[in-house]
Amino acid sequence: MHSMKLKLIYPEEKIKEPILSKVCKNFNVDINIRKANVQEKIGWLELEFIGDEVEIEKAINLLVENGVEVLPIEGQVFIE
Amino acid sequence: MAKVKGLKCKECGAEYPVEPIHVCEFCFGPLEIVYDYQEIKKNISREKIEKGPKSLWRYIDLLPVENPTVGLSAGFTPLIKAENLGKLLGLNNLYIKDDSVNHPTLSFKDRVVSVALSKAKEFGFDTAACASTGNLANSVAAHAASAGMNCYVFIPSNLETNKIIGSLVFNPVVVAVDGNYDDVNRLSSEIANEFGWAFVNINVRPFYSEGSKTLAFEVAEQLGWRIPDTVVAPLASGSLYTKIWKGFNELIEVGLVEGKPPRMLGAQAEGCSPIYQALKEGRDFIKPVKPNTIAKSIAIGNPADGPYAVKVAKESKGDIQIATDEEIIEGIKLLAKTEGIFTETAGGTTIAVLKKFAEAGIIHKDEVVVAYITGNGYKTMEVLEGKLEKPIHIKPSLIEFKEKVIGKNVKVGG
Ligand SMILES: Cc1ncc(COP(=O)(O)O)c(C=O)c1O
Ligand SMILES: [Zn+2]
Repeated sequence: MHSMKLKLIYPEEKIKEPILSKVCKNFNVDINIRKANVQEKIGWLELEFIGDEVEIEKAINLLVENGVEVLPIEGQVFIE
Repeated sequence: MAKVKGLKCKECGAEYPVEPIHVCEFCFGPLEIVYDYQEIKKNISREKIEKGPKSLWRYIDLLPVENPTVGLSAGFTPLIKAENLGKLLGLNNLYIKDDSVNHPTLSFKDRVVSVALSKAKEFGFDTAACASTGNLANSVAAHAASAGMNCYVFIPSNLETNKIIGSLVFNPVVVAVDGNYDDVNRLSSEIANEFGWAFVNINVRPFYSEGSKTLAFEVAEQLGWRIPDTVVAPLASGSLYTKIWKGFNELIEVGLVEGKPPRMLGAQAEGCSPIYQALKEGRDFIKPVKPNTIAKSIAIGNPADGPYAVKVAKESKGDIQIATDEEIIEGIKLLAKTEGIFTETAGGTTIAVLKKFAEAGIIHKDEVVVAYITGNGYKTMEVLEGKLEKPIHIKPSLIEFKEKVIGKNVKVGG
């Protein structure tokens, strides 16, 4: 079993779409939401995906294909 | 009693032992080092520090390391009274803290990486890693080389190789990942969780970021153990800015200086200013942005310490301002021609913003002001292409020299 902590950021026009629910229905991952802020113009969630590595990867790909930014929780990683 | 009590979640306050961890299990908030200031106060003194090594390790009593082994010559950079720039801006007590000459890789990152990798060695790690294309990678690769650690650097694969020569020279394993920055970041954090490596900006981040406090300690000591009225510093993730604040507060807490902590003025590039925007709009959360600026070293669209930086700006009665790409270039040129210091775009941003605050009368002429110059201009010279005076071309003839050079620029004789 694998787990991954992630921050999902929704672009404004995608906030109303049930993207996460699609993830649940299509892949075998458990979703554990820890923090969220979803308003009219801003939408982000901090959550943990628990499941098989391959399933988690597929879940992330689906989110990215749907325009969601999928970032690690882990501090600040990239510095150009 | 130990100087470090443990780690604590900045959000919910949950406590953790001193381990290479960085995220709260409960709320996913960032973890921070907690010190026993009562205990530290008993051991620390100005005299002891002044007798210490000429490096950031003279402040070891306020750093989360017991036995420094990496980066023994980092820090202890010059603090320069900037008379010429001060005159131009109408500031009588302007100082430049010049980390463009930090050892060994010419940016303030040598401070944080020294602390991160010294701690990593204490934890028993033999491999250092980071995801970076710039200053951070330079510093991690250099320190890993001298410490005899394995080193991995992760970059997006569409990056031109000449951009990372300054890291490649130290012979790390560079992994070019097919994907964008988000993909590289996600992979890095997965690797950090799975392998026993010290990812400087991930699992040892609580220790890493403490290194920036030494920018406050050194300035206070160099000013004769006093705290400046105002400081100006750049913000990328917001770590440096918040830790400078923490550093000055700690000096007061342990009784090394008197007075109050400085007003914290911050600088971001207009093309990547999520922290400035949050402060201006009165938000306590950050709306991530897609960076679009020449100031690559401070272009972080989703800054981890953004909310804490906003808090520091408010608490210190400070402010954050932005500079356009054009103003950043002007800032680089201004510092060079007045003080003889060649900084990169982060420093250009700081100088541009310092100028704005001075011209707006937000900084009083007699205040003691310190501007933090965090990186070196020789690393990113391409940003100045086409922005500087061209050489004057002449034939090897004295007549032409007099006509075209002397006649044009200065009075003859004298
Ligand atoms: C030269 C320079 N200045 C300032 C910063 C800002 O650092 P921070 O992420 O701590 O805000 C960076 C780091 O990325 C940098 O490379
Ligand atoms: Zn917490």
